[in-house]
Amino acid sequence: MAPTLPSSDQASDQDNWDNGRLARKRQLLIEIVLRNRLTALVVDGDTTCRVLEQLLLRSYGVQTQGVDNGRDAVALIASGVKFDLIIIDMILPVLNGLEATRQIRDMGVHCKMLGVTICSGESERQVFLAAGVDVFIEKPLDPEHLVPILRELDGQ
Amino acid sequence: MERNPIRRQLAIMRQSLFDQGHVDEQFVQLEELQDDANPNFVEEVVTLYYRDSARIILNIEQALERKPFDFGKLDAYMHQFKGSSSSIGAKKVKAESTLFRECCKSGNGEGCMRSFQQLKKEYATLRKKFGAYFQLARQAGPVETASRPK
Repeated sequence: MAPTLPSSDQASDQDNWDNGRLARKRQLLIEIVLRNRLTALVVDGDTTCRVLEQLLLRSYGVQTQGVDNGRDAVALIASGVKFDLIIIDMILPVLNGLEATRQIRDMGVHCKMLGVTICSGESERQVFLAAGVDVFIEKPLDPEHLVPILRELDGQ
Repeated sequence: MERNPIRRQLAIMRQSLFDQGHVDEQFVQLEELQDDANPNFVEEVVTLYYRDSARIILNIEQALERKPFDFGKLDAYMHQFKGSSSSIGAKKVKAESTLFRECCKSGNGEGCMRSFQQLKKEYATLRKKFGAYFQLARQAGPVETASRPK
């Protein structure tokens, strides 16, 4: 159910604040219109996270593929499939996100990689960045982090 | 103020999910992804969450029956559970997940057990609240949503 704006009845301060924030979010959501067809790979072992991240990307017109483990991600990239963006979790089944990231970078892949994971501290962030992700984002992935990256990839 | 009584009730129920700390801003993001083409999207995602997370809960329960605790494994399970919970905006569940992981990192087995019991309570409470909320939402029918140009 989408939130509704108040009618002519007096809105509370809380209503105004909530609707202000919502209006700002909607602005973020509707502001971006991609000129180019971008592609993204989402690598997350959790179905809910993977589905939501793919849906969020698709809502901006990004074509997505999803895999649920690091080994399949590496295999897909090794097969020659190219993506503008890879979103990858740190803890993954079969082959973890750190090693998968290293292997993808070792293949000479230079596309933007976002490490989107549950963070336990600065050391985890540094480890993921050192493995080769360009940006570290704490879950959940949200438009405020994603939209500027999509703009950059779209050359806006 | 919503004039339709069912919608008014729904709005009150929705607000209480936030006021009582059960959900956070991420829930609003789910709502933003719902549109005319996917009018039950939020309910479908929440259903998916409860279906998949049940498996993780079971894994953790089984892992807590094995002594000594494998804190690395427990932490990995909870990492996934926390990620999943945060993606639907389950605020209290996410907070308990954080406590559990802290107990794992400090090797506090008793703390893990206590935290897990509390987590299951919050998880069950939220499931009940979502159940009532979506049942009413179905009665209320779809609302017109702002949609992004595709």
